[in-house]
Amino acid sequence: MSARAYLLLLRQFIAREFRQRYLGSLTGPAWALLQPLMLLGVYALVFVHVLRVRLPAGDGPADAVPFLVAALWPWTAFAEGLNRAVAAVPENAALLAKVPVPRSLLVIAPLAVTFGVHGVGLCVVGLALALWGRPFDLGGVLPALVAYLLLAGFTLGVALLLAAWNVFVRDVGQILGQALTLLFFLSPVFFTREMVPEAFRVAFDLNPLSIYLDLIRAALLGTPVNLVADLSKAALATVVAIAMGAFVFRRLSPYFEDYL
Amino acid sequence: MSEAVLVSLRGVAKRFPRVSRRSDRARALLGLLTGRSLPPATTVLEGIDLEVRRGESLGLIGENGAGKSTLLKVLTGVLAPTEGEVRLSGSVAALLELGAGFHPEFSGRDNLRMAAALMGFAPGELEAREPDILAFADIGRYIDEPVKHYSSGMVVRLGFALVAARRPDLLITDEILAVGDEAFQRKCIRWIEDYLDGGGTLLLVSHSMYQVQKLCRHAVWLERGRIRASGDVYEVTQDYLAAQERRIAREAGLAPKESAGTLAGVEFSLSAVRINGNDGEAPVYVARGDTLAIELDVRTREGRTPVAAFGIVRADGTPVFGTTSEIDAAVVRVTADGLARFRVELPDLALLPGAYSVRFHALDTEGLRIFDTLERGFVVRGHTRELGVVRLAHRWVDPDAGG
Repeated sequence: MSARAYLLLLRQFIAREFRQRYLGSLTGPAWALLQPLMLLGVYALVFVHVLRVRLPAGDGPADAVPFLVAALWPWTAFAEGLNRAVAAVPENAALLAKVPVPRSLLVIAPLAVTFGVHGVGLCVVGLALALWGRPFDLGGVLPALVAYLLLAGFTLGVALLLAAWNVFVRDVGQILGQALTLLFFLSPVFFTREMVPEAFRVAFDLNPLSIYLDLIRAALLGTPVNLVADLSKAALATVVAIAMGAFVFRRLSPYFEDYL
Repeated sequence: MSEAVLVSLRGVAKRFPRVSRRSDRARALLGLLTGRSLPPATTVLEGIDLEVRRGESLGLIGENGAGKSTLLKVLTGVLAPTEGEVRLSGSVAALLELGAGFHPEFSGRDNLRMAAALMGFAPGELEAREPDILAFADIGRYIDEPVKHYSSGMVVRLGFALVAARRPDLLITDEILAVGDEAFQRKCIRWIEDYLDGGGTLLLVSHSMYQVQKLCRHAVWLERGRIRASGDVYEVTQDYLAAQERRIAREAGLAPKESAGTLAGVEFSLSAVRINGNDGEAPVYVARGDTLAIELDVRTREGRTPVAAFGIVRADGTPVFGTTSEIDAAVVRVTADGLARFRVELPDLALLPGAYSVRFHALDTEGLRIFDTLERGFVVRGHTRELGVVRLAHRWVDPDAGG
């Protein structure tokens, strides 16, 4: 299949994925913004006001909201995108059994839509906070965007790998939900590496998501950061993830039909 | 690959993996990741070599479970072959499962857009042809309703309309659409005929030999995942039907048991039988209209004159014709060593193409008791689409011509 034909198909799959997600809901795509907003509200209430988690920078609860926002949206994009992408191949088994479709489209389309809507969500919320006078550094938007795209690439690599495995061994899909919950607390979303006990810091160091989330948050909140070094690290992690995912997917995808 | 070849399969094999045990899947995953070959599994296709040229029409025949659907899936790229090579040039559209990729929640229009992209429409092409497609499908305002509200006939209409607009290089279909109302079926058949006249290429999967013979010039007979025969449509379909009839007869126990005629103590036995001079057990091929020569050598123990009989039966056991040397008052001479030889000729053979058997019988002098029976098959071949068993003399006359 030519690259042109592939891209045309990808556009169709993305359009279908987008419509499918909001088909029949009253508010439509607004849900993409509402859902993380409500989540943010819950988290802000519980962690900042009830549990009184203290942030390293400023102490007021007002600072906690931008802190959460900057990492919660990218995290949501990662977790939701991964969940949907891994489920996509078995969900489309009927289509695969009848029409020759490049299998990778099924994984890429849900990721593209998820990262798209949450990217827009992050922009809207960030802009609102900035206008409200909260510390949101508009100058950091560009590096944050690059890091966000690198995160999307990293997610794609992981999704290709897991989606291919999931066709053969369905346990992957079952475990993924729990694994993501655990990973959530081992990622710098509510707290930074410095806020957790010494013993757990190694998990943050080993977690490649830390690279992206720390980078996006630092860029958006204007925290001083070594941009070049961090972006290089993120790019490297993305390349490694995509290379691994693509290798596995390429090996396994011709046999999907036999195991679906 | 030359320009004219649309589809080319070389040594294609398809084996489905064994997934009955839980550990099979995990083992397959590890095996594929490390590049090792998979453990043996169910073979569905084996050693398939096939070429479809532009403008050719090919019939694919075979019993249920012979691997026809799997072959089509491999051919269209839905399934990856376990071995061998599939090359496809040009666009392919299958009428097998029209609307198969449609999503029930989306409107017909949305689904058209997706299906068009899957079929490889260029951007803008669908928009340009949409009026034609809607006119052909003729489903009215339903085009903007979700497909789940469609009747099965409407789904097929929409699917066919898209294929018709696409004019694929290769069209794959089965049984010429047993769905939709009659008016729409006629519309489809007209379109297919028009498509073929315009140089289209057809791959027809059918159990109707009549249809295959009407629409195809070549046929491929698939049996248990292998190509049993391929070539001229008449030869292949006739051989296939013959094998079918023989199998049915065997299953029904209609074939007579050959009596052990050479046993000592039998007064009359068949020492040799020949069809057109051929005394082997393999079926003999006879062209329609040729002469069929039947020969029987009957050995008599006591120099008595035997009666010879033969009967022609269709491979499924239907009797066609039979007679005896006694009925026809044929001249019989018994040699000194007790051998009586008979030869019957049936000139201008009226049998229609198909598989038949000759049953040879040795009877006593009075023609009352059958002492020995042998059966040999033969196949009548010919390029004709006439139906039935024998060609009866007939002529078409102009009813309006006076007289």
